[in-house]
Amino acid sequence: MNEERDSQLSAMFDGELPGAECELLARRLTRDEVLRSQWSRYSMIGAALRAERGVALHDRVAWRVQSAVAQEASYGDGTDIAATAARTAAVVPAELQGRANRRRWMRFARPMAGAGIAASVAALSIVWLRTQDPQQSLLAQAPVSESIVLTPEVNSTTVALNQTPASRPVSNGEPDRYVTPALNAQTSLAPTARLANYVVAHSEFSGPLSRRMALLGLVASENGEAAVAPEADGAAATEANDAP
Amino acid sequence: MTVEESDLVLVKRVQRGDKTAFDLLVRKYQHKVVKLVLRYVRNPAEAEDIAQEAFIKAYRALPQFRGDSAFYTWMYRIAINTAKNSLASRDRSPIAYDLDLTDPEESHSVQTKLQDPDTPEGMALTEEIRLIVNSAIEALPEELKTAIVLRELDGLSYEEIAAAMECPVGTVRSRIFRAREAIDKRLREVFEGGLGRTEEMV
Repeated sequence: MNEERDSQLSAMFDGELPGAECELLARRLTRDEVLRSQWSRYSMIGAALRAERGVALHDRVAWRVQSAVAQEASYGDGTDIAATAARTAAVVPAELQGRANRRRWMRFARPMAGAGIAASVAALSIVWLRTQDPQQSLLAQAPVSESIVLTPEVNSTTVALNQTPASRPVSNGEPDRYVTPALNAQTSLAPTARLANYVVAHSEFSGPLSRRMALLGLVASENGEAAVAPEADGAAATEANDAP
Repeated sequence: MTVEESDLVLVKRVQRGDKTAFDLLVRKYQHKVVKLVLRYVRNPAEAEDIAQEAFIKAYRALPQFRGDSAFYTWMYRIAINTAKNSLASRDRSPIAYDLDLTDPEESHSVQTKLQDPDTPEGMALTEEIRLIVNSAIEALPEELKTAIVLRELDGLSYEEIAAAMECPVGTVRSRIFRAREAIDKRLREVFEGGLGRTEEMV
Protein backbone atom coordinates (compact mmCIF):
# COMPACT_ATOMS: atom_id res chain seq x y z
CA MET A 1 0.00 0.00 0.00
CA ASN A 2 2.75 2.41 1.06
CA GLU A 3 4.86 1.38 -1.88
CA GLU A 4 2.03 2.15 -4.27
CA ARG A 5 1.48 5.50 -2.57
CA ASP A 6 5.20 6.33 -2.72
CA SER A 7 5.28 5.32 -6.35
CA GLN A 8 2.42 7.74 -6.96
CA LEU A 9 4.30 10.45 -5.10
CA SER A 10 7.34 9.94 -7.32
CA ALA A 11 5.18 10.07 -10.45
CA MET A 12 3.37 13.20 -9.22
CA PHE A 13 6.68 14.90 -8.54
CA ASP A 14 7.57 14.28 -12.18
CA GLY A 15 4.14 15.38 -13.39
CA GLU A 16 3.39 11.89 -14.68
CA LEU A 17 0.50 10.91 -12.42
CA PRO A 18 -3.02 10.79 -13.93
CA GLY A 19 -5.19 13.79 -13.02
CA ALA A 20 -7.67 12.07 -10.70
CA GLU A 21 -4.92 10.33 -8.72
CA CYS A 22 -3.00 13.60 -8.56
CA GLU A 23 -5.98 15.35 -6.94
CA LEU A 24 -6.31 12.62 -4.32
CA LEU A 25 -2.62 12.53 -3.53
CA ALA A 26 -2.44 16.34 -3.32
CA ARG A 27 -5.21 16.18 -0.73
CA ARG A 28 -3.31 13.54 1.19
CA LEU A 29 -0.03 15.46 0.95
CA THR A 30 -1.52 18.50 2.64
CA ARG A 31 -2.41 16.34 5.67
CA ASP A 32 0.65 14.12 5.84
CA GLU A 33 3.94 15.68 6.99
CA VAL A 34 5.86 12.44 6.41
CA LEU A 35 4.84 12.45 2.77
CA ARG A 36 5.77 16.12 2.48
CA SER A 37 9.23 15.38 3.87
CA GLN A 38 9.60 12.66 1.29
CA TRP A 39 8.54 15.15 -1.39
CA SER A 40 11.27 17.51 -0.12
CA ARG A 41 13.88 14.81 -0.30
CA TYR A 42 12.89 13.99 -3.88
CA SER A 43 13.54 17.64 -4.68
CA MET A 44 16.87 17.46 -2.85
CA ILE A 45 17.91 14.33 -4.75
CA GLY A 46 17.31 16.12 -8.05
CA ALA A 47 19.29 19.18 -6.94
CA ALA A 48 22.16 16.98 -5.71
CA LEU A 49 22.22 15.04 -8.96
CA ARG A 50 22.32 18.24 -10.96
CA ALA A 51 25.22 19.38 -8.74
CA GLU A 52 23.86 22.91 -8.54
CA ARG A 53 26.82 24.92 -7.28
CA GLY A 54 26.13 27.34 -4.46
CA VAL A 55 22.70 25.86 -3.80
CA ALA A 56 22.47 24.60 -0.26
CA LEU A 57 20.66 21.28 -0.05
CA HIS A 58 18.26 21.99 2.76
CA ASP A 59 14.76 23.29 3.23
CA ARG A 60 15.63 26.63 4.81
CA VAL A 61 13.95 28.69 2.10
CA ALA A 62 10.84 26.52 2.33
CA TRP A 63 10.71 26.84 6.11
CA ARG A 64 11.10 30.59 6.01
CA VAL A 65 8.49 30.96 3.29
CA GLN A 66 6.13 28.71 5.21
CA SER A 67 6.50 30.92 8.32
CA ALA A 68 5.89 34.07 6.29
CA VAL A 69 2.90 32.61 4.45
CA ALA A 70 1.39 31.53 7.78
CA GLN A 71 1.04 35.27 8.57
CA GLU A 72 -0.74 35.88 5.26
CA ALA A 73 -4.45 35.55 4.66
CA SER A 74 -5.73 32.27 3.26
CA TYR A 75 -7.49 32.28 -0.06
CA GLY A 76 -10.74 30.56 -0.67
CA ASP A 77 -13.18 33.35 0.06
CA GLY A 78 -13.64 36.70 -1.65
CA THR A 79 -12.49 38.86 1.24
CA ASP A 80 -9.10 37.28 1.55
CA ILE A 81 -8.45 37.51 -2.16
CA ALA A 82 -9.58 41.13 -2.20
CA ALA A 83 -7.29 41.95 0.73
CA THR A 84 -4.37 40.35 -1.03
CA ALA A 85 -5.15 42.03 -4.34
CA ALA A 86 -4.21 45.39 -2.82
CA ARG A 87 -0.81 44.09 -1.78
CA THR A 88 -0.39 42.42 -5.14
CA ALA A 89 -0.57 45.72 -6.99
CA ALA A 90 2.97 46.50 -5.92
CA VAL A 91 4.23 43.03 -6.69
CA VAL A 92 2.68 42.00 -10.01
CA PRO A 93 3.97 43.75 -13.13
CA ALA A 94 1.58 46.34 -14.60
CA GLU A 95 1.07 44.21 -17.69
CA LEU A 96 -0.10 41.22 -15.64
CA GLN A 97 -2.29 43.47 -13.51
CA GLY A 98 -3.96 44.95 -16.62
CA ARG A 99 -4.61 41.46 -17.96
CA ALA A 100 -6.15 40.43 -14.66
CA ASN A 101 -8.42 43.50 -14.68
CA ARG A 102 -9.57 42.76 -18.22
CA ARG A 103 -10.38 39.19 -17.20
CA ARG A 104 -12.34 40.45 -14.20
CA TRP A 105 -14.34 42.80 -16.44
CA MET A 106 -14.98 40.00 -18.95
CA ARG A 107 -16.31 37.81 -16.14
CA PHE A 108 -19.19 40.27 -15.66
CA ALA A 109 -19.58 41.31 -19.28
CA ARG A 110 -19.91 37.77 -20.70
CA PRO A 111 -23.18 36.79 -18.99
CA MET A 112 -24.67 40.22 -19.81
CA ALA A 113 -23.73 39.93 -23.47
CA GLY A 114 -25.07 36.37 -23.55
CA ALA A 115 -28.40 37.46 -22.11
CA GLY A 116 -28.62 40.31 -24.62
CA ILE A 117 -27.96 38.03 -27.57
CA ALA A 118 -30.49 35.47 -26.31
CA ALA A 119 -33.18 38.18 -25.94
CA SER A 120 -32.48 39.52 -29.45
CA VAL A 121 -32.71 36.04 -30.98
CA ALA A 122 -35.98 35.38 -29.15
CA ALA A 123 -37.48 38.68 -30.35
CA LEU A 124 -36.40 38.04 -33.95
CA SER A 125 -37.84 34.51 -33.78
CA ILE A 126 -41.23 35.84 -32.63
CA VAL A 127 -41.35 38.42 -35.42
CA TRP A 128 -40.28 35.88 -38.00
CA LEU A 129 -42.79 33.27 -36.84
CA ARG A 130 -45.61 35.81 -37.07
CA THR A 131 -44.75 36.71 -40.63
CA GLN A 132 -44.39 33.01 -41.54
CA ASP A 133 -47.75 31.84 -40.11
CA PRO A 134 -49.13 29.64 -42.94
CA GLN A 135 -52.80 30.48 -42.28
CA GLN A 136 -52.14 34.19 -42.30
CA SER A 137 -49.98 33.83 -45.35
CA LEU A 138 -52.67 32.03 -47.34
CA LEU A 139 -55.34 34.50 -46.30
CA ALA A 140 -53.16 37.37 -47.26
CA GLN A 141 -52.43 35.90 -50.67
CA ALA A 142 -55.91 34.70 -51.59
CA PRO A 143 -57.29 38.11 -52.73
CA VAL A 144 -54.14 38.69 -54.70
CA SER A 145 -54.60 35.43 -56.59
CA GLU A 146 -58.24 36.14 -57.21
CA SER A 147 -57.49 39.47 -58.76
CA ILE A 148 -55.19 38.13 -61.44
CA VAL A 149 -56.99 38.63 -64.74
CA LEU A 150 -55.66 36.93 -67.76
CA THR A 151 -56.76 36.69 -71.34
CA PRO A 152 -57.22 33.14 -72.59
CA GLU A 153 -55.60 33.67 -75.96
CA VAL A 154 -52.34 34.82 -74.39
CA ASN A 155 -51.83 32.28 -71.67
CA SER A 156 -54.22 29.46 -72.32
CA THR A 157 -51.48 26.87 -72.02
CA THR A 158 -50.19 28.30 -68.77
CA VAL A 159 -53.45 28.50 -66.90
CA ALA A 160 -55.51 25.73 -68.41
CA LEU A 161 -54.42 23.24 -65.81
CA ASN A 162 -55.07 25.68 -62.99
CA GLN A 163 -58.66 26.46 -63.81
CA THR A 164 -61.22 26.29 -61.04
CA PRO A 165 -64.98 25.97 -61.54
CA ALA A 166 -65.47 29.56 -60.41
CA SER A 167 -63.20 30.88 -63.08
CA ARG A 168 -64.35 28.83 -66.09
CA PRO A 169 -64.76 30.87 -69.26
CA VAL A 170 -68.17 32.22 -70.07
CA SER A 171 -69.41 32.15 -73.61
CA ASN A 172 -70.57 35.77 -74.02
CA GLY A 173 -67.38 36.98 -75.71
CA GLU A 174 -66.15 38.80 -72.63
CA PRO A 175 -62.58 38.12 -71.49
CA ASP A 176 -62.48 35.01 -69.39
CA ARG A 177 -61.24 35.05 -65.75
CA TYR A 178 -58.67 32.62 -64.64
CA VAL A 179 -57.49 32.27 -61.12
CA THR A 180 -53.90 31.35 -60.51
CA PRO A 181 -53.70 29.30 -57.33
CA ALA A 182 -51.77 30.86 -54.52
CA LEU A 183 -49.27 28.00 -54.40
CA ASN A 184 -48.49 28.42 -58.06
CA ALA A 185 -47.93 32.12 -57.60
CA GLN A 186 -45.54 31.44 -54.76
CA THR A 187 -43.44 28.85 -56.51
CA SER A 188 -43.49 30.36 -60.00
CA LEU A 189 -40.14 30.97 -61.58
CA ALA A 190 -41.64 33.53 -63.98
CA PRO A 191 -39.76 36.81 -64.40
CA THR A 192 -41.03 39.86 -62.59
CA ALA A 193 -42.81 42.77 -64.28
CA ARG A 194 -39.64 44.74 -63.93
CA LEU A 195 -37.76 42.18 -65.94
CA ALA A 196 -40.55 42.09 -68.57
CA ASN A 197 -40.48 45.87 -68.84
CA TYR A 198 -36.78 45.72 -69.24
CA VAL A 199 -37.06 43.12 -72.02
CA VAL A 200 -39.71 45.19 -73.82
CA ALA A 201 -37.82 48.45 -73.44
CA HIS A 202 -34.71 46.82 -74.89
CA SER A 203 -36.61 44.74 -77.43
CA GLU A 204 -34.51 45.94 -80.28
CA PHE A 205 -31.62 44.02 -78.73
CA SER A 206 -33.58 40.95 -77.66
CA GLY A 207 -34.85 38.14 -79.79
CA PRO A 208 -38.59 37.49 -80.32
CA LEU A 209 -38.43 34.17 -78.47
CA SER A 210 -36.96 35.67 -75.30
CA ARG A 211 -39.52 38.49 -75.42
CA ARG A 212 -42.33 35.97 -75.69
CA MET A 213 -40.98 33.86 -72.84
CA ALA A 214 -40.68 36.93 -70.62
CA LEU A 215 -44.23 37.97 -71.33
CA LEU A 216 -45.63 34.49 -70.87
CA GLY A 217 -43.92 34.32 -67.55
CA LEU A 218 -45.17 37.74 -66.61
CA VAL A 219 -48.84 36.84 -67.01
CA ALA A 220 -48.36 33.97 -64.58
CA SER A 221 -46.63 36.14 -61.98
CA GLU A 222 -47.96 38.09 -58.99
CA ASN A 223 -50.74 40.60 -58.99
CA GLY A 224 -48.67 43.74 -58.85
CA GLU A 225 -46.61 42.51 -61.68
CA ALA A 226 -49.60 41.25 -63.63
CA ALA A 227 -50.99 44.77 -63.72
CA VAL A 228 -48.45 45.65 -66.32
CA ALA A 229 -49.19 42.56 -68.40
CA PRO A 230 -51.68 44.05 -70.85
CA GLU A 231 -49.36 46.93 -71.72
CA ALA A 232 -46.45 44.62 -72.02
CA ASP A 233 -48.53 42.22 -74.08
CA GLY A 234 -49.52 44.98 -76.49
CA ALA A 235 -46.00 46.16 -76.80
CA ALA A 236 -44.80 42.62 -77.27
CA ALA A 237 -47.31 42.07 -80.03
CA THR A 238 -46.05 45.19 -81.79
CA GLU A 239 -42.47 44.09 -81.36
CA ALA A 240 -43.36 40.60 -82.54
CA ASN A 241 -44.74 42.03 -85.76
CA ASP A 242 -41.57 44.04 -86.30
CA ALA A 243 -39.40 41.04 -85.70
CA PRO A 244 -38.01 39.24 -88.72
CA MET B 1 -0.65 14.62 -16.97
CA THR B 2 2.28 17.01 -17.40
CA VAL B 3 4.39 18.79 -14.78
CA GLU B 4 2.41 21.97 -15.54
CA GLU B 5 -0.92 20.24 -14.90
CA SER B 6 0.42 18.57 -11.78
CA ASP B 7 1.55 21.94 -10.43
CA LEU B 8 -1.78 23.46 -11.38
CA VAL B 9 -3.54 20.97 -9.13
CA LEU B 10 -1.49 22.36 -6.22
CA VAL B 11 -1.99 25.96 -7.34
CA LYS B 12 -5.76 25.49 -7.37
CA ARG B 13 -5.62 24.04 -3.89
CA VAL B 14 -3.73 27.16 -2.72
CA GLN B 15 -6.34 29.35 -4.39
CA ARG B 16 -9.01 27.47 -2.45
CA GLY B 17 -7.23 28.26 0.82
CA ASP B 18 -4.75 25.38 1.26
CA LYS B 19 -1.45 26.97 2.30
CA THR B 20 0.24 23.58 2.63
CA ALA B 21 -0.12 23.05 -1.11
CA PHE B 22 1.96 26.21 -1.60
CA ASP B 23 4.58 24.75 0.73
CA LEU B 24 4.80 21.75 -1.60
CA LEU B 25 5.42 24.03 -4.57
CA VAL B 26 8.12 25.89 -2.63
CA ARG B 27 9.80 22.66 -1.57
CA LYS B 28 9.75 21.45 -5.14
CA TYR B 29 11.21 24.59 -6.72
CA GLN B 30 13.29 26.24 -3.98
CA HIS B 31 16.61 24.87 -5.25
CA LYS B 32 15.89 25.84 -8.84
CA VAL B 33 14.85 29.35 -7.81
CA VAL B 34 17.95 29.84 -5.64
CA LYS B 35 20.11 28.64 -8.50
CA LEU B 36 18.37 31.09 -10.83
CA VAL B 37 18.85 34.01 -8.45
CA LEU B 38 22.52 33.10 -8.03
CA ARG B 39 23.04 34.24 -11.61
CA TYR B 40 22.30 37.77 -10.42
CA VAL B 41 23.62 38.07 -6.88
CA ARG B 42 26.21 35.31 -6.59
CA ASN B 43 26.09 35.30 -2.80
CA PRO B 44 24.20 32.15 -1.66
CA ALA B 45 22.80 33.69 1.52
CA GLU B 46 21.54 36.72 -0.37
CA ALA B 47 20.17 34.46 -3.11
CA GLU B 48 18.15 32.59 -0.49
CA ASP B 49 16.76 35.86 0.86
CA ILE B 50 15.72 36.94 -2.62
CA ALA B 51 14.24 33.51 -3.37
CA GLN B 52 12.24 33.73 -0.17
CA GLU B 53 10.98 37.19 -1.09
CA ALA B 54 10.06 35.95 -4.58
CA PHE B 55 8.04 33.05 -3.18
CA ILE B 56 6.14 35.35 -0.83
CA LYS B 57 5.38 37.70 -3.72
CA ALA B 58 4.19 34.71 -5.73
CA TYR B 59 1.89 33.65 -2.91
CA ARG B 60 0.38 37.14 -2.77
CA ALA B 61 -0.08 37.23 -6.55
CA LEU B 62 -1.46 33.70 -6.77
CA PRO B 63 -5.15 34.75 -6.99
CA GLN B 64 -4.26 36.31 -10.36
CA PHE B 65 -2.56 33.16 -11.63
CA ARG B 66 -4.89 31.46 -14.10
CA GLY B 67 -2.59 28.75 -15.43
CA ASP B 68 -2.00 30.39 -18.83
CA SER B 69 1.66 29.52 -18.35
CA ALA B 70 3.35 26.87 -16.22
CA PHE B 71 3.70 27.71 -12.54
CA TYR B 72 7.49 27.53 -12.73
CA THR B 73 7.62 29.87 -15.75
CA TRP B 74 5.54 32.38 -13.82
CA MET B 75 7.65 31.89 -10.70
CA TYR B 76 10.80 32.25 -12.79
CA ARG B 77 9.71 35.72 -13.94
CA ILE B 78 8.86 36.83 -10.43
CA ALA B 79 12.24 35.60 -9.16
CA ILE B 80 14.16 37.42 -11.89
CA ASN B 81 12.21 40.65 -11.29
CA THR B 82 12.82 40.38 -7.55
CA ALA B 83 16.56 39.80 -8.07
CA LYS B 84 16.80 42.76 -10.46
CA ASN B 85 14.85 45.02 -8.12
CA SER B 86 17.06 43.93 -5.25
CA LEU B 87 20.16 44.85 -7.22
CA ALA B 88 18.70 48.16 -8.33
CA SER B 89 17.59 49.11 -4.83
CA ARG B 90 21.09 48.52 -3.51
CA ASP B 91 22.56 50.33 -6.49
CA ARG B 92 24.93 47.51 -7.16
CA SER B 93 26.11 45.66 -10.20
CA PRO B 94 25.87 41.84 -10.23
CA ILE B 95 29.65 41.41 -9.96
CA ALA B 96 31.69 44.19 -8.37
CA TYR B 97 34.94 42.77 -7.16
CA ASP B 98 37.97 44.99 -7.38
CA LEU B 99 40.39 42.12 -7.69
CA ASP B 100 42.89 40.96 -10.22
CA LEU B 101 41.37 37.82 -11.67
CA THR B 102 44.48 37.06 -13.70
CA ASP B 103 46.33 36.29 -10.47
CA PRO B 104 45.63 32.58 -9.79
CA GLU B 105 45.71 32.97 -6.02
CA GLU B 106 43.36 35.95 -5.98
CA SER B 107 41.10 34.33 -8.54
CA HIS B 108 40.78 31.23 -6.38
CA SER B 109 39.89 33.43 -3.43
CA VAL B 110 37.10 35.06 -5.46
CA GLN B 111 35.74 31.71 -6.59
CA THR B 112 35.67 30.55 -2.98
CA LYS B 113 33.81 33.70 -1.94
CA LEU B 114 31.29 33.31 -4.76
CA GLN B 115 30.47 29.73 -3.82
CA ASP B 116 30.79 29.99 -0.10
CA PRO B 117 27.67 28.69 1.64
CA ASP B 118 26.57 30.81 4.57
CA THR B 119 27.36 28.57 7.56
CA PRO B 120 29.72 25.70 8.27
CA GLU B 121 26.71 23.55 9.16
CA GLY B 122 25.08 24.36 5.87
CA MET B 123 28.25 23.53 4.00
CA ALA B 124 28.63 20.25 5.86
CA LEU B 125 25.05 19.20 5.28
CA THR B 126 25.08 20.07 1.61
CA GLU B 127 28.32 18.23 1.10
CA GLU B 128 27.04 15.26 3.02
CA ILE B 129 23.85 15.06 0.99
CA ARG B 130 25.80 15.25 -2.25
CA LEU B 131 28.08 12.44 -1.18
CA ILE B 132 25.18 10.26 -0.08
CA VAL B 133 23.25 10.85 -3.30
CA ASN B 134 26.26 10.18 -5.48
CA SER B 135 27.27 7.03 -3.64
CA ALA B 136 23.67 5.79 -3.65
CA ILE B 137 23.46 6.41 -7.40
CA GLU B 138 26.64 4.50 -7.98
CA ALA B 139 25.26 1.54 -6.04
CA LEU B 140 22.08 1.37 -8.12
CA PRO B 141 21.53 -1.32 -10.76
CA GLU B 142 22.27 0.03 -14.23
CA GLU B 143 18.64 0.28 -15.41
CA LEU B 144 17.59 2.25 -12.31
CA LYS B 145 20.59 4.56 -12.59
CA THR B 146 19.91 5.24 -16.28
CA ALA B 147 16.23 5.95 -15.63
CA ILE B 148 16.82 8.44 -12.79
CA VAL B 149 19.68 10.18 -14.63
CA LEU B 150 17.60 10.57 -17.80
CA ARG B 151 14.81 12.04 -15.72
CA GLU B 152 16.72 14.34 -13.37
CA LEU B 153 19.67 15.39 -15.49
CA ASP B 154 18.24 15.29 -18.98
CA GLY B 155 14.69 16.19 -17.99
CA LEU B 156 13.12 13.54 -20.24
CA SER B 157 9.47 12.53 -19.81
CA TYR B 158 8.56 8.95 -18.90
CA GLU B 159 7.50 8.33 -22.48
CA GLU B 160 10.83 9.55 -23.85
CA ILE B 161 12.74 7.45 -21.32
CA ALA B 162 10.61 4.43 -22.25
CA ALA B 163 11.55 4.95 -25.92
CA ALA B 164 15.22 5.38 -25.04
CA MET B 165 15.33 2.31 -22.80
CA GLU B 166 12.96 0.26 -24.97
CA CYS B 167 10.59 -0.65 -22.17
CA PRO B 168 7.00 0.22 -21.19
CA VAL B 169 6.19 3.56 -19.50
CA GLY B 170 5.02 1.66 -16.40
CA THR B 171 8.45 0.09 -16.06
CA VAL B 172 10.08 3.53 -16.30
CA ARG B 173 7.82 4.83 -13.56
CA SER B 174 8.71 1.85 -11.40
CA ARG B 175 12.45 2.18 -12.05
CA ILE B 176 12.52 5.89 -11.23
CA PHE B 177 10.54 5.29 -8.06
CA ARG B 178 12.84 2.45 -6.98
CA ALA B 179 15.92 4.57 -7.65
CA ARG B 180 14.50 7.41 -5.58
CA GLU B 181 13.52 5.03 -2.82
CA ALA B 182 17.06 3.62 -2.62
CA ILE B 183 18.60 7.11 -2.45
CA ASP B 184 15.93 8.36 -0.07
CA LYS B 185 16.55 5.45 2.28
CA ARG B 186 20.15 6.57 2.64
CA LEU B 187 19.10 10.19 3.10
CA ARG B 188 16.57 9.29 5.79
CA GLU B 189 19.31 7.54 7.73
CA VAL B 190 21.29 10.78 7.71
CA PHE B 191 18.38 12.98 8.70
CA GLU B 192 17.14 10.62 11.36
CA GLY B 193 20.71 10.13 12.62
CA GLY B 194 20.70 13.79 13.66
CA LEU B 195 23.51 15.07 11.49
CA GLY B 196 21.37 16.95 9.03
CA ARG B 197 18.10 17.91 10.62
CA THR B 198 16.47 20.58 8.49
CA GLU B 199 14.74 22.07 11.52
CA GLU B 200 18.11 22.84 13.08
CA MET B 201 19.13 24.69 10.00
CA VAL B 202 16.42 27.31 10.35
